[in-house]
Amino acid sequence: MSKIVGIDLGTTNSLVAIVENGVPRVLPGRDGSKLVPSVIHFEEGGEVLVGNTAKARLIENPKNTIFSIKRFMGKGLEDVRDDLPLLPFEVSSDSEHIIRLKIFGRDYTPPQLSALILKELKRNAEAELGEEVVNAVITVPAYFNDAQRQATKDAGRIAGLDVLRIVNEPTAASLAYGLNERQHGTIAVFDFGGGTFDISILKLSEGIFEVLATSGDTHLGGDDIDELLIRLVMKEIGGAPDASAIPSIRKAVNKAKEDLSAADSAEIVIESLGYRRKLPRAEFNALIDPIVERTLKPCRQALQDAGLKPDAINEVVMVGGSTRIPLVRERVQAMFGRVPHTELNPDEVVALGAAVQADILGGGKRDMLLLDVTPLSLGIETMGGVISKIIPRNSTIPASATEMFTTFVEGQTNVKIHVLQGERELVKDCRSLAQFDLKNIPPMPAGMPRIEVKFLIDADGILNVSAQEQRTNKYQSIEVKPTYGLTDEQVEGMILESFEYAESDIEARQVIEARNEAELVLNATEKGLHDEHLSQLSDEERAEITAAVTHLKEAMKSESHTVIREAIDRLSAGTQHLAELIMNSTIQKALKDKRVREIQ
Amino acid sequence: MNYFEVFGLPKILGIDLARLERKFHELSRKYHPDFFTASSTEEKLQALHMTALVNDAYRTLRHPVRRVEYLLDVEGFKPDGSKVPKSFLMEMFEINEQVEEAHSGSATPEQISALRHDIENRAARFDSQIEAASAEWDRLVSNHATEPELKAQLSRLTEILSESSYIRNLERDLEGTA
Repeated sequence: MSKIVGIDLGTTNSLVAIVENGVPRVLPGRDGSKLVPSVIHFEEGGEVLVGNTAKARLIENPKNTIFSIKRFMGKGLEDVRDDLPLLPFEVSSDSEHIIRLKIFGRDYTPPQLSALILKELKRNAEAELGEEVVNAVITVPAYFNDAQRQATKDAGRIAGLDVLRIVNEPTAASLAYGLNERQHGTIAVFDFGGGTFDISILKLSEGIFEVLATSGDTHLGGDDIDELLIRLVMKEIGGAPDASAIPSIRKAVNKAKEDLSAADSAEIVIESLGYRRKLPRAEFNALIDPIVERTLKPCRQALQDAGLKPDAINEVVMVGGSTRIPLVRERVQAMFGRVPHTELNPDEVVALGAAVQADILGGGKRDMLLLDVTPLSLGIETMGGVISKIIPRNSTIPASATEMFTTFVEGQTNVKIHVLQGERELVKDCRSLAQFDLKNIPPMPAGMPRIEVKFLIDADGILNVSAQEQRTNKYQSIEVKPTYGLTDEQVEGMILESFEYAESDIEARQVIEARNEAELVLNATEKGLHDEHLSQLSDEERAEITAAVTHLKEAMKSESHTVIREAIDRLSAGTQHLAELIMNSTIQKALKDKRVREIQ
Repeated sequence: MNYFEVFGLPKILGIDLARLERKFHELSRKYHPDFFTASSTEEKLQALHMTALVNDAYRTLRHPVRRVEYLLDVEGFKPDGSKVPKSFLMEMFEINEQVEEAHSGSATPEQISALRHDIENRAARFDSQIEAASAEWDRLVSNHATEPELKAQLSRLTEILSESSYIRNLERDLEGTA
């Protein structure tokens, strides 16, 4: 099997890593940096920049520079309404169930935008490894729901990757930490990143990493701290400043936040607004306390689900950039009663772990095995809008459940099934996952058909459904309508579109290059036609040049670079004799001049 | 293959959890999809379904109540809430009213705390009843008891589960209040 890379597709930064000779390492980008900022910039002409070059354009061109797209994965407009006022992006009206950002008149879904980041990582890996990279493991927050996982997988497909596995970030981190040196023990992984928070409790035994429980918040991270500080600055400035000022404010508060991880006091400086303010750590801590507090509730929940008290945890591992914040470390230490591990770079550890999982899948390691769980309960809608849970949260995946369905009306050939994820009792309080139609049920009296539906959550944490009518033993066709996701056809369309665009981009560039060249040839010919040597050409030769010039001027209107090139070639051939004559006389002149100089 | 067979166990309810876990790890190492990345589509699918079965079985068998529910299901017994004694239903009805009061906010914190205590006590009593009845089932099986004797014990287990499900629902309902 060809090489498999591990990818950490982060809210703020993304990385690609691989295991070589048993050791995982992050593959740097062409600019030498290991972190590729998860920022995408669109240029007017259609060129797309990803990473550091895109990040550099955040302030001057915020509307066409997309960041934190991960927060929009698998989300509808209602889910992100609170974030939008502080974000400079233009949201398309067609965003109810899938957010679409409008960039230069075109709509982009989060999987398409994430695919651009993945493509950049793919190119970086290919440049570094010197071979094509197709296979990948991609990490997601452990608390990602089905739609968010599927959106990540779709992004991989659009980027031309074969996504062999979706791995949870905290569990990937535990693989990287070399904790298997320890034969037995219980570990808590506290993963607090740019946009998401996860806590996972794992039990280690002889190479088996078994997740006992996981919990989290997919909308809680460093971005929320930045937004808190942005609102503080906006309040102090008085009134809402021009929306175009927000990127500058965001950059300034982000720097102050990072400074406070090492210093007792920092300064927020926004020169363009003439704003300057001291931010002592004590004030910062008081400000962010509610956010840090929000991470502790999922910790307690995960411990309870694992049936453990905090003192049963042998090791605590810190992952994600936001765990650099001293208050976060203090709180985690207090919660678990032990100093957390911070030895590995919290920005890199997930990618390294993804590479380890990729190595396991590639057959490199058989002594290690990760047994992960589904973070949310899976249920189906029953009478009265109540949910019947069929796979409880924290079930080891792959996990399955079989349910029997029947008809209510004589001759009924269709049964609708609504699948949801969440912990609450009522449909309205859970996340709709998909609607299924059991079709072509043989017509029978009501209640007679027995349709066995198997719900299977695979190792990626994604739901698969199959059905069988028991009396006729026939498999039923199932049409999946994901509530917050793209259908298979839509993803296929996007893959094709990305190829088409890539091809039309190349074609467009070739046409422009050919036209430029034609311009040069025409200018040179124009000069030649005024040259004294023209009289030395035959009438046929002169006629051919005139015809070739007309032909090329006409060909330049074409959108095909081959048509233009053929016309250029004809004119070049036609003017060759003239060019030689001019060239020879120039050389003779040059020689003559030289002789004159030598004599002098 | 039923869950007991997956783990090579007889249909008994007293399960050594440490041994069950060891077997779970052994089966996971054998079937997990991670080890079939380079295999054919069919083998991959087989690994996926086999691992799901192992996981479903482990999740069910390691839990003392789910384990009993599963045994009853395999033996064709279904807990039936409508068959519980009237007097028990009346008791549950009263507790349910108290839970509703707690939800509506008309109960004092002391009342809620007393209610929680009452429900927890009842749940614990059911747990010990289930434990005792499970042990009795195992004793009957190992003594090669007659079919009617075994059926009677399964009925007994079904009754206890039917009643205890009321308490478990009330417990969950009360959790929803602060």
